Amino acid sequence: MTDSNNLESRIVEIYNLYYLDVYRFLVCFTGNQNDAEDLTQEVFIRVLKDLSNFNSNYNLKTWIFSIAKHVAIDHYRKKRFSALFKDGFFNQFSSNEKKPEEEFEVTELKQFIHDAIAKLKPNYRAVVILRGINEFSIKETSEILQCSAAKVKVDYHRALKELKRKLNIEIEGVLTNAK
Amino acid sequence: MQNEKDLFDMLKEMYPQHPRKEFVSATENTLRQRARSMGKKRIITKFSVISSGVLVCAFIFSWLIFFNGNSKVSEVVQSVGGASSSYAMDEKEPVVYIYHSHNIESFIPEVSAQQVYRERAYSDTKNITLVGKELSRALKELQVPAIHDETDVAGILKQRGLYFQDSYKVSRENLQKVLAENDSIRMVFDIHRDSTKRRESTIEIKGEEYAKIKFVVSKTSGNYETNKKFATQLHEQLEKLYPGLSIGVIEKGVNPQNTYNQELHDNSVLVEMGGIENTLEEMYRTTDIFAQVLEDILEKSK
Repeated sequence: MTDSNNLESRIVEIYNLYYLDVYRFLVCFTGNQNDAEDLTQEVFIRVLKDLSNFNSNYNLKTWIFSIAKHVAIDHYRKKRFSALFKDGFFNQFSSNEKKPEEEFEVTELKQFIHDAIAKLKPNYRAVVILRGINEFSIKETSEILQCSAAKVKVDYHRALKELKRKLNIEIEGVLTNAK
Repeated sequence: MQNEKDLFDMLKEMYPQHPRKEFVSATENTLRQRARSMGKKRIITKFSVISSGVLVCAFIFSWLIFFNGNSKVSEVVQSVGGASSSYAMDEKEPVVYIYHSHNIESFIPEVSAQQVYRERAYSDTKNITLVGKELSRALKELQVPAIHDETDVAGILKQRGLYFQDSYKVSRENLQKVLAENDSIRMVFDIHRDSTKRRESTIEIKGEEYAKIKFVVSKTSGNYETNKKFATQLHEQLEKLYPGLSIGVIEKGVNPQNTYNQELHDNSVLVEMGGIENTLEEMYRTTDIFAQVLEDILEKSK
């Protein structure tokens, strides 16, 4: 029984060390607290399952994040599939109720950023969040994404560029409409 | 807005930066429970693997002791070993290799009407393979060890979804294997039945009917000269003994291009024996003479 006790204390230790980082990655990736919580749990369940196969030569944190990235992208694919049915169909029933004027500025900007991030392709999104929010180094990011450091650099710059471009278009759109 | 740091700060602020407390503790509990049940499962699987291993060992042990299983074991081993190759191997070093790329070629007088397709007879039992078998038997009688490959090439084609043209590719597999394993092989024959009619494919010698024989050499095998020399030798020897029995050496394989696997051995030739309207008896008569000729040539070259 020492075996299962070990495993239990090990996974709890790992969970407490890393859950916040994993959650932050996922909340930025999904843009939704509920989804992020569900996925965080899924990440650590996978970590538990594969812990016995974990090669201690690797960095534990980047290993956990590579699992998180897989979980996030799986979720993105599932969501995109279901969105095909949901979006077009239910949006026509959504209310056109106006938000209070004073809240407009902040929420609108947030909405832009949210949309811009959501429109990035998932690999770019992962790079931006890992580097910008989780503040991983280029080397760590390349370990997580299982690609070369050069690819991380290139992808990160392209992703940022695209993100800014999208934000600028949105803001300009608002400004011209406001005139 | 152009500043990356601003952008990331905003991103960070946008979403709740902490999961709900209830969630954190609930997930920790879930993980604890899973870890515990995994530990139990692991113990159970370990136990079951060990116990089933012990049971299997005990079973094999008792089988060997009480039911004299070892004879069965050797049978099984033999059948496993023998299944891969379907040719009959002589104990002595084999000298002749006989095979049939078109193993289902048959004879109208020997098969039922349904097995005749476009005036050609095909059968998966009564076919050219029997002629090869007879040649191998006759050679054995003359103390010439031979390997007769009875591989059902047509069956393999069907199984692998290949076409009739691929027959030579399939028959090549065993040929290559046999040649690699037996450097004692001095002659290689791919025996076919020709598609000519009775008038062209039969000759009467001393009141008995014989199937005629001809030798096909590929011009594109890269081994053309040596193959042709060997085929000519066979033809001339037959002419000496039974004039007219051998039609001669035919050169083919240009269009459509085909080497008939003749590049694999210097003394390799494709034998066309008889035609669609010959009987097996007529084929066997020629086969026995052919065996005699082969023995003569082998004796001479010793």
